Amino acid sequence: MARMKFLCDAERCVECNGCVVACKNEHEVPWGVNRRRVVVLDDGVPGEKSISVACMHCTDAPCAAVCPVDCFYTTDDGIVLHDKDLCIGCGYCFYACPFGAPQYPQKEAFGVRGKMDKCTFCAGGPGANNSDGEYGKYGRNRIAEGKLPLCAEFCATKALLGGDGDMVADIYRQRVLKRGGRPQTWGWETAYKKAG
Amino acid sequence: MKRRGALTIAVLASAVALTGCYESTDVTVHKQGEYKGMKDPLLDAKATAEREETLQKRFQLVQVDR
Repeated sequence: MARMKFLCDAERCVECNGCVVACKNEHEVPWGVNRRRVVVLDDGVPGEKSISVACMHCTDAPCAAVCPVDCFYTTDDGIVLHDKDLCIGCGYCFYACPFGAPQYPQKEAFGVRGKMDKCTFCAGGPGANNSDGEYGKYGRNRIAEGKLPLCAEFCATKALLGGDGDMVADIYRQRVLKRGGRPQTWGWETAYKKAG
Repeated sequence: MKRRGALTIAVLASAVALTGCYESTDVTVHKQGEYKGMKDPLLDAKATAEREETLQKRFQLVQVDR
């Protein structure tokens, strides 16, 4: 069974934020929540790199491991989803996630969090597929319609790939071979290069 | 008479107050790590196999360089 994964090719990403707009529009994501966001390294400096980040649908998801009410589940193809009806908004999943994917809409005063919201790989959530209830809580269920996440399909430069992990890795491998090696966006040479 | 009335009221009041002391003996055991939410049709195994092929075709159609 193939696992669904995202991969953002930092060499191709032009920081257009098309993926961010596509996601927010398609799922009517509440104010203050960005399921997907573009992170820029060395912004303004020649050679800057940008990368689109959202939930990585981890195989051993730390958010699922720490949830006190066990509201997370993983589909057979590796998509990590959660049930908002069970969620108590404790924020533990946010602390555990290395990517900051779980986010909370600010619905009340005094820092009271609402229900956790995160990228669903356009797979909706529990409940009947493509129902109004599912759309209201989790957004569109494109996976049930046989489509892939809109952010990846929308990407102008095909930097963001989302789908079968084997196919995504194969495409990235071909690109790296064509380019003649990996970019040193992060790694030893970046960490130990001279400042300035 | 007055004393008897007050005593009756006191007994009734304490009886009502004591109903709050009831403790249910049913214990709910939550097994850690088990998902406890609503069922998702995406978890249906047969549908997953069909979906995998559809999504692979979609990937080839949309996300591969032309």
